Amino acid sequence: MLKPIVGRRLLLAAACLVLLFATIGQAADRKDRLTDKEKRAIDYLVHDWDEDYSATSVDLAMYAVGVKQSDETRFHIGSYIKQHPELHEVTRRWSWVTFVLTADEKRIARALINAQRDAKPAPSIAEIAKAVGASDDRVKRALSMLAHYEIIKADPSVGGAGFRVESRYLKWEPRLDFLFHTVTLAGGRKFNTN
Amino acid sequence: MLLVSSKLADEKVIVDDSSPESTARIRVVFDKGKLVSVEPSSTIVFAGGG
Repeated sequence: MLKPIVGRRLLLAAACLVLLFATIGQAADRKDRLTDKEKRAIDYLVHDWDEDYSATSVDLAMYAVGVKQSDETRFHIGSYIKQHPELHEVTRRWSWVTFVLTADEKRIARALINAQRDAKPAPSIAEIAKAVGASDDRVKRALSMLAHYEIIKADPSVGGAGFRVESRYLKWEPRLDFLFHTVTLAGGRKFNTN
Repeated sequence: MLLVSSKLADEKVIVDDSSPESTARIRVVFDKGKLVSVEPSSTIVFAGGG
């Protein structure tokens, strides 16, 4: 009597595992699949990066091609760039981080990096907001984005805003991957250069 | 600076920036290659270089 029950349980477990892997596979496929609007933003970037001075970021590309700004869409496009270094030489030269974060997110990352590297107390959300001249809500959203990209990790033990910077982002002197210069021309065109 | 004085030498150009060590916003405005304004006023602009 015991053997058939064990056998059925094993079959059930195997079926669950198959279902789990299929679900993860589908999620990975979705993550790698871009909508038409997202493809337009990527096409815009690849063309823009061909300019010898361009290091334009995803948020500016979304603006240029008329894609509504949202953190979710920007993360989706940014994740695609992170996963596809073959897209353009410039993303390999400057690191994907340069292209997927906004200027505010880079400055907010620096606020955490500077404190942690100098062994100072982790800044609170209000302190970061004051340092970068952004609202508390903007800082919270930026921290969420940085955590999604695994640049920082939630760690209440550090105090302050409760995030610890991953060690690989503390060692890069002079933190070239958080560099930006945003250029706006009188005609309305915006791009980044490094 | 090189870009502003070469390819964009005939344009009005706004550069939103920050020094790599800092978290503060910096805005520099150029018109036809010439520096027009800098915010905040404490910003030190180095012109030239190789």
